[in-house]
Amino acid sequence: MVWKAWRIGDVIHYPGTQEVEKYVYTPGIHGLEFAKALKEGRILGMKCPGGIHVPPKTYCPDGSPGELVEVKGPWRIATFTIVYEDIYGNPLPEPQVLALIRPDDARRGGLIHIVKADPDTVYIGMEVKPRWKPPEQRTGHITDIEYFEPA
Amino acid sequence: MRTNIFVKDRVAVVGAGLTLFRRRLQETPRELAWEAARQALESAGLTFDDIDCIVTGTAPDAFDGLHFNGEYIADAGGFGKPTVRVYVGGGTGVFVPVAAWWHAASGLCDTVLAVAEEKMSPAHPHPQGVFAYIWDPILERPLGPNLIWIFAMEMRRYMYKCGAAKETIAKVSVKNKRNALDHPAAQAAANITVEDVLNSELLVWPVNRLDISPVSDGAAAVILARENEARRITDSPVWVEGIGFTLDNTHWYNRELAFPRYVNYAARMAYKMAGIERPWKEIDVAEPYDPFDYKELHHIEGLMLARPCEAPKLLEEGWFDRSGELPTSPSGGLLGVGNPIAAAGLMKVAEIFWQLRYEAGPRQVKKPVHYGVAQAWGDLMQAGTVIVLGN
Repeated sequence: MVWKAWRIGDVIHYPGTQEVEKYVYTPGIHGLEFAKALKEGRILGMKCPGGIHVPPKTYCPDGSPGELVEVKGPWRIATFTIVYEDIYGNPLPEPQVLALIRPDDARRGGLIHIVKADPDTVYIGMEVKPRWKPPEQRTGHITDIEYFEPA
Repeated sequence: MRTNIFVKDRVAVVGAGLTLFRRRLQETPRELAWEAARQALESAGLTFDDIDCIVTGTAPDAFDGLHFNGEYIADAGGFGKPTVRVYVGGGTGVFVPVAAWWHAASGLCDTVLAVAEEKMSPAHPHPQGVFAYIWDPILERPLGPNLIWIFAMEMRRYMYKCGAAKETIAKVSVKNKRNALDHPAAQAAANITVEDVLNSELLVWPVNRLDISPVSDGAAAVILARENEARRITDSPVWVEGIGFTLDNTHWYNRELAFPRYVNYAARMAYKMAGIERPWKEIDVAEPYDPFDYKELHHIEGLMLARPCEAPKLLEEGWFDRSGELPTSPSGGLLGVGNPIAAAGLMKVAEIFWQLRYEAGPRQVKKPVHYGVAQAWGDLMQAGTVIVLGN
């Protein structure tokens, strides 16, 4: 492929530096509650006019304030994909299933997460459940859920 | 005499809202935008359902650390509606209501939510690093410039051309930080003296720490409506009488730095539309952009509220105090309230709105008010944005 043959040395250039070393993001007001709940092994959503939305984010899509609620599932795959290469074009050791997972009681939204299952067996509508890290390893990150697995 | 006959509808500001301005806020950018929008709607007695179109504004995405930050914050009520983000660097705050104005003046939308947000705290080690990208990457960046350099040089040029003393310029910082004591959202309100400014940390001569506005997070919002709709919503609409925006030379060293032409052209455009011929007499209250203290004086002259080099003298006479002949930055400005870039410019528009409705509480200027002007500027000072409001 032609574009892969081009190298930076092919043009006369002046290197620049990145002066912002990193970013620190705040999770927001409901986002903080969501993170705290992850540490406790719970998943929070938001009750809005018309249904529950996951994850919560302080206000509903129509602009009204939302109310935090715990979402218990069951969770189903709304759509999924199978990843074969990383962003550098290197093949993954084994294909990875990435899915939009939506609880039955939610109207919209859902979590994007990894599904640990044989790609050939995954289908839309498949019921899955979260696999949590041990409590002492949880940090309030989305990765506190190691992956979803067939229920 | 009004010279512009091409505008379909008169447009009014009918509501305004503001979050706290702080160095670090827990809220996400879109939560800040939502909070400001919610307050603005509440003040107008409206809900998100009543809004036809959304205009958002934020300065570079690199502050919040999110690409498409404008669309990201428009999530606050923009769901399923025509939404556009405008961006002219620091001038964005005033450009947001300008863009909202043409959405309504054209007849496209009856009601427009204009919201501006900035969260500078995510960029580490310091948001100043983001400003590095406004310089020419080959000719200027190898010298290791930071933003204060050019302002220090411009300030020095202004002092030289106008014979303005540093002690006089420091009085702007004293005035604005004092005005901000009455602002519930203020981050840098203080009762300080000229000596405090002069003795504060010297950053880039002649700029000391207290000559500069702080780094901030925050959001602001205003609601604009076409005349018929505005009269239904409120008995006291504040009319958008004129808008102006112009671009100057991007090579800042090609300009005469002592006079802000980028503001002057935008101001002339706005005054012409508003039918204002003698702004120094007809404007009752002003919010010139004041990220640095000398900038307020500089912009007062660009806005033709004083003759070139006359602003320092008028400042000494108390002309620009809240009780003065032509109060400037009665809110406390960027120096006092804070500087979440795009939100800071819109905060100034909101202040003029409140002043013209006599709703500014302890910040209300002493004189009767009919016309007010708010202004901001963007990037390497080449983008000037001006809005004239009247009651």
